Amino acid sequence: MRGNRWRIAIRIGLLVIGLGAAGVLYAFPLYWLVATSLKGKAELYQSITLIPRHPTLESYGSVLFERGFWVLLKNSVITCAATVVITIAIGLLITYPITRLPVPPQLRVGVLNWALSLRFLPPIAVVIPYFAIVRTLQIYDQPIALIGIYSLFNLPFAIWMLKGFLAEIPLELEDAALVDGANRWTSFRRVLLPLATPGLMAAATIVFTFAWSEFLFALILTATPNAQTFPVGVQGLVTQFEIIWNDMAASGVIAMAIPLALMVVARKYMVAGLTFGVIREK
Amino acid sequence: MSRLVADLPAPTGIQPVRVGRRRRSRQERLAYKILLPALGTVFIIVTIPFVLAVVQSIQAEDGSLVGFRNYARALTNPLFYDALRATGLYALIVLPAEILLGLSFALLVHRTVRRAGLRATLYVLAVLPLVVPPVAVGVVARLIYAPGYGVLNYLLQGAGIAHSEIEWLGVPILAMGSVASVDIWQWTPFVYLVLFAGLQTVPKESVEAAQVDGATWWTQFIYIELHYLRPLFLLILFFRMADVLRVFDHVFILTGGGPGTTTQLLSLYMYRIEFKFFDAGQAAALAVLVLVSISIIYSLVTRALPLERA
Amino acid sequence: MQRITRREFVKRTAVTSAAFTSLPAFLAACGESTTTSNKPSKLVIAAVQGNEDGPLKKVAPNYKSQTGIDVEIVEFPYDQLFEKLVTTFQANGSSYDLCMMDDPWMPKFGTMGALQPLDSNFGFTRDSDIPTVVYDVGTWPPPHGPVPPSEQAKTQHLYGITIVGNVEMFMYRSDKSSAPTSWDDVLSNAGKYNAPNFYGYVIRGKATNPVSSDSLPILWSFGGNVFDDNWKVQLDSTDSITAVDFLTRKLKKYAEPGAENIDAADRSRLMAIGQAYQSTVWPGEITGIVEDPSVSQVKGKVAYIPIPQGASGKGLGMMGNWLLGIPKGSKNGSAAADFIKWMLKTANMRNYVAQGGIPIRKSILNDASLASANPYFAALAKSFDAVPNWRPRTDQWNAVETIYGTQMNAAVAGQVTPQAAMTKAAADVRTLMKTAGYPS
Repeated sequence: MRGNRWRIAIRIGLLVIGLGAAGVLYAFPLYWLVATSLKGKAELYQSITLIPRHPTLESYGSVLFERGFWVLLKNSVITCAATVVITIAIGLLITYPITRLPVPPQLRVGVLNWALSLRFLPPIAVVIPYFAIVRTLQIYDQPIALIGIYSLFNLPFAIWMLKGFLAEIPLELEDAALVDGANRWTSFRRVLLPLATPGLMAAATIVFTFAWSEFLFALILTATPNAQTFPVGVQGLVTQFEIIWNDMAASGVIAMAIPLALMVVARKYMVAGLTFGVIREK
Repeated sequence: MSRLVADLPAPTGIQPVRVGRRRRSRQERLAYKILLPALGTVFIIVTIPFVLAVVQSIQAEDGSLVGFRNYARALTNPLFYDALRATGLYALIVLPAEILLGLSFALLVHRTVRRAGLRATLYVLAVLPLVVPPVAVGVVARLIYAPGYGVLNYLLQGAGIAHSEIEWLGVPILAMGSVASVDIWQWTPFVYLVLFAGLQTVPKESVEAAQVDGATWWTQFIYIELHYLRPLFLLILFFRMADVLRVFDHVFILTGGGPGTTTQLLSLYMYRIEFKFFDAGQAAALAVLVLVSISIIYSLVTRALPLERA
Repeated sequence: MQRITRREFVKRTAVTSAAFTSLPAFLAACGESTTTSNKPSKLVIAAVQGNEDGPLKKVAPNYKSQTGIDVEIVEFPYDQLFEKLVTTFQANGSSYDLCMMDDPWMPKFGTMGALQPLDSNFGFTRDSDIPTVVYDVGTWPPPHGPVPPSEQAKTQHLYGITIVGNVEMFMYRSDKSSAPTSWDDVLSNAGKYNAPNFYGYVIRGKATNPVSSDSLPILWSFGGNVFDDNWKVQLDSTDSITAVDFLTRKLKKYAEPGAENIDAADRSRLMAIGQAYQSTVWPGEITGIVEDPSVSQVKGKVAYIPIPQGASGKGLGMMGNWLLGIPKGSKNGSAAADFIKWMLKTANMRNYVAQGGIPIRKSILNDASLASANPYFAALAKSFDAVPNWRPRTDQWNAVETIYGTQMNAAVAGQVTPQAAMTKAAADVRTLMKTAGYPS
């Protein structure tokens, strides 16, 4: 008995230490990012301090307006939203038949496997030929080039997530609707979709954040703020040719803020969605 | 074929193959009508670049066919092997660290935290580093490791641990470590999440029985939990290894491949060939080599291992 | 009943799919701009981010108020600007109407035929107030020095005009000593004034372009070179190795830690906060950092001179002009040319200087009234007159610089000996040039 309590005490102690250390390791860099973004330009030429001497929001104004990054922000939002719509739509088009309709199991397994394999393509290997295609189709520096490739790369994940959700919904529900005289489309819209919504929202959130973070393709396939996305802007500020660390930090904060906010807002869906029902509240 | 999905107990939402001939063919036809256009389009979109890469890889700059010359140049370039070596070293640092740390945390939290609210909160917190854009993480890392304005040196010197500027991005070993640390920072939570979810599937009865029998913490882990986690380990290993081959963003921002070519991982090397040396043929050859290798490894892995459990 | 519903379902699916496939065309149409009128509503300039394009950004609104044409400046870090321009030229893209080019990029763009000739297409002629070397650096094939074999038959044309009159100079703390007359002086001064947190010589050692720009003047002043007049590689000659040893061993002793990661702005920052005694410097850093009263603590204490020569009088300064050129794919060629002409007008250039720009007109550089506000003008004028050297005029320069710069960076970091670094660099460059068709 006493031994047990001792063991529990050790474990709790370890937990506190572990979580504490993790907390510091994750929180401090983020704090430093925000702190740097609040420093004024003159302060960058003085010695380093942990707390900004004269906190100011001038770097955010500089990044968004003087450097015009609000256009990049807009591009990112549009590109990511379009990617989500296309990815989920095509994902459903592929997942619905193989889960809800009688296809040979080899086909189902084959499609899922093939989808999974796409996830392992190194982007740099794909961008080299894709760049040639983009040039030929004359969509260089157009958002559509990015939307296309983003949808492609996020499709595997969407397929796997959607398959998980659709698989959880009993077929009997749809069958009941069909028997009652509804057609496939109505049963899909009225029965399946509402039940799958948490999963769809989770998938949509994840696809959005992945598309938001994407950098390599945006770097290579865009040339002007016509199509450039926010990560390209962030990287552009990381230059040691200028002392603009505060702007750099501000752009980093903005880049992080959107997906983090999205995650927090959608956390209900995330917990339900990402675990496919595996995490049971104890 | 692969046992990837075959081990799943049939979920209630998946349509089993019906016996009735007429109904099956109609529903099946519907399935194909929906599936094939979408799947076909995607398949074509995926295959065209691959074909194009192959074509580009056997061309010279002026478009004439030169057979395997680009491949020979790619494979005899010593920088290529430097890149492979760097990538291998990176994987060797990153994978064990992430798995050990993730596992430790998963076990710790699973065993110690009972309240559902806390578990869910930790879950959400663990997801956050995964969704932060790697470029932003690269910026954070720059602000920590960079010479002159990096805060790490400031803290170390302030605490008296270091007496001069440590060149985190300048000394090869330290540069590799810095770059690897960013990866560990961002992806350990992923390992934690997967293993934590996996630990939930361990039947409580087995655990309780073992505890009644007087099993220690360690024995319990080895004989019970490990059994359930093993396929997840493989899944994690596979996913992370594939990701290491793809890693680009934060290394690009943090060191650009330097010092020298110490942190020039495979994807950065390919980027350099295509966009610094403008050697499209060699770049395409590398792309083909990489794509083929990954396909081969992927099919071997999925053939040999059951990757997924319920 | 079933049949109808299935057909209905398929029809709806088809409609949805069609909607999505027409979405791309719709989006592409949204993205395209229509160029119908002769006078464009805006000009897009691809520019380098940093001190160099700051003044350009400041004077651009003046152009809009005078002509109604909006000037949109798209910035990229140095390396990326080059990559973007090359890929845009390869695609014959129309994304940019004007592009800023570092003069070493001229050979590549000239060889690619990527730019519109300014003299024959838009009537540019040589102005006597602008140094000859400025026109020379924007001309392809180059009027002097070795010409790449594939370019020898081409007619000379002017393809770019300098808007940032960068010539690499030297700065030192004049409140502590008088000017060094040679690199040996530089070394002895570095040793004399080196102190904790006050570095005797600041090395700009970051890999590829930064360390290459910083080290070439030293290479030349010791009699070394990258190529000789027949494109034979000289990096592993005795003189070259001596020069590299001088920089990475002797001067390195008095340099800041982490030199292998230091780029231009950091180097200037060290000077601006009073932690450096001397270094090479580009005029852009002077106006942007060292002489900027809002950030500099050493204003008035720093003097600028042309780059010291070798003890035997060998060696020259180095050009690093930023030129404006017009890509072939630009749809607004004449409007772009008008913009360049506007930038060159004396009155506009004076305004440009007031915003921190680096002029090229001799009349402005020698104007005594501007000397106190721009202490480097005298040194810059002298540097132009001395006809500074330029980087080898080969279209392979970017690759050569990557090879040379990587090895130099490793030498600065102490990873390899100067001998090993230059031997490897020379071997790699030889292979590169041979594949590219140069005589070996």
